[in-house]
Amino acid sequence: MIIDIKYIFKKILFWSVIMIIVLYLLFPFYWAVNSSLKSEAQLQMIPTTLVPRNPETMDFSPTLRNFAAVFKNKIFVKSILNSAIVAGSTTLLALIVGSFAAFALGKLAFRGKKPVLYLILAMTMFPQITVLSGLYAVITKFNLSARLSMVISYMIFTLPFTTWVLTSFFKELPKEIMQSAQVDGATPFQTFYLVLLPLTAPALVTTGLLAFIAAWNEYLFALTFTAIEPSARTIPVAIALFTGSVVRQVPYGEIMAAAVIVTVPVVILVFIFQRRIVQGLTAGSVKG
Amino acid sequence: MDRNSKLDLVTDEQRLAYKLLAPTLIILLIVAIYPLSQVFYTSFTDRTFAGTNQTHFIGLNNYSKLLNFTIKELPPVIEQGTNQVKIDSKTGEKVYEPSFKVLPGSPKPYKELSQFNFLGKRYVVGATNPEFINSIITTLIFTLSAVSLETVLGLIIALLVNSNFTGRGLMRAVMLLPWAVITVVSARIWEWILAPSRVGLFNMFLEKIGIGNGQLAFLTADNWQLFSLIMVDVWKTTPFMALLILAGLQLIPGELYEAARVDGANKVRQFFSITFPLLKPALAVALIFRTLDSLRVFGLFQVLVGQRLYSLASYNYYQLVGNRAMGLASAVGVIIFMIIFVFAVIYMRLLGVDSE
Repeated sequence: MIIDIKYIFKKILFWSVIMIIVLYLLFPFYWAVNSSLKSEAQLQMIPTTLVPRNPETMDFSPTLRNFAAVFKNKIFVKSILNSAIVAGSTTLLALIVGSFAAFALGKLAFRGKKPVLYLILAMTMFPQITVLSGLYAVITKFNLSARLSMVISYMIFTLPFTTWVLTSFFKELPKEIMQSAQVDGATPFQTFYLVLLPLTAPALVTTGLLAFIAAWNEYLFALTFTAIEPSARTIPVAIALFTGSVVRQVPYGEIMAAAVIVTVPVVILVFIFQRRIVQGLTAGSVKG
Repeated sequence: MDRNSKLDLVTDEQRLAYKLLAPTLIILLIVAIYPLSQVFYTSFTDRTFAGTNQTHFIGLNNYSKLLNFTIKELPPVIEQGTNQVKIDSKTGEKVYEPSFKVLPGSPKPYKELSQFNFLGKRYVVGATNPEFINSIITTLIFTLSAVSLETVLGLIIALLVNSNFTGRGLMRAVMLLPWAVITVVSARIWEWILAPSRVGLFNMFLEKIGIGNGQLAFLTADNWQLFSLIMVDVWKTTPFMALLILAGLQLIPGELYEAARVDGANKVRQFFSITFPLLKPALAVALIFRTLDSLRVFGLFQVLVGQRLYSLASYNYYQLVGNRAMGLASAVGVIIFMIIFVFAVIYMRLLGVDSE
């Protein structure tokens, strides 16, 4: 009987801790959704309400007006497209270039391997802000468009990461696979893209997802490089500079609607890939 | 296989390796190494951003503009009639001379950074650029508090998610959510939650339970700003910490715990003799990532407090884009680089990451 009480007590404690953590992690989303469904008048209600309510009757009355306004906002819609293009191209480029380097570092023998590995590792710790002004000078010199500038400059943080994680995946692949392909007459490069690359497909997906999220999230470079080209703004910049239709009033309802809209796709990705993400990091970060 | 063809094979492999590495190295040269050397060089000049002015080499001038500081004793005010130290009638404390009287005014004026008492005397710290010194202090406080809170919370969450219970997969997905939200978006959401009146969730809630008057200005009041920024960062990035720690936990073989249980070790004992030592590499990587990331925090500061409170990176940005002082901004960049480098080296030494 005593043991039972202790067991039940432990269970209750465990689940209450879980509930507190879930609440802590989720309430800002809840607040964004709640606020996005409120009209301007409902947003200004004092005290604020936990669900959208009619100011007079206090009945539950959500509105989709903010979402409609956001989708009518041309800059915002364009920024979603810009972000998709920039983050997508960044991911693709980082995966292609990174997998080349990772194959060399993980499976080939050559002189100078260690210095190269250390150089690439050093880049992961590189402060983006430090190169900002120098990078800006390079970009104006080559007269690159804002979108292309972003794709190239995002390599600073995506390329070392993809190379690093993929190198450890390549290392784990058994050497025999390569040898038997070579016996069959395949050149090392053929072995790479016909045999090894398909085997690392799951790793490519995980690494690609993480690189995509990092590029989707980036703000500093995007803010700087789109300063003179507003049509190239990505989502983070568009949301940071969101002014809405009414002058001199921060349109929180619309900002929250925009926040909900851009969060949903990433949330879905995370739900689908959560197991993979954990595994990807296990292989990449811990084993080095 | 004779010696020659074996050698050929080796050089073939080498040549392929270099070819495969070339794109990576070229890109890193363009986006990191060349700009970095440019920044180093520019930091010794008075170059302006997007300007046509002639650039001059000015040596360490930018650095001294940023970092010069001095400590001077502040004499108490002597009342003329009595020749005694003036005492404030309200607080009962000594009144001191204003700091501009003791701080040097040339060649560059020093402004007061802070005052402190030491061994019965009053001192004033002056700096030629208190904003920058403050941005260093702010960033260090931000980093140390945020990272330690994130480590503790991340460890707790990771240990919970790592234990076996129904709904574990769902919990793992929920755990990752704040991390998946764009930083700027989460800053905007929190800005609204922290609104300075009861239209904000926090003020409404705190007033309801009797704390504050429902008017706490979380993002503008001096003593709440940094606290709020840390809170938002902890919410946003604890999941990342938890994720890396969880990855480390899953590498620990379960048999070790079984053996420990057979030997009669309790949960606490198991944590300190198995979990913690084996978790150290994962914890080290997570700590390094998070520390270096928060030392260069930008979006959070820029969106939530703008130019009211600077982090190192936001100070750099405003000097570059707002003030067009490219030379000075480059010097700030170099200083940030050095601070981050020092942290990275300390971590690697302390945690033995480089011995791998």
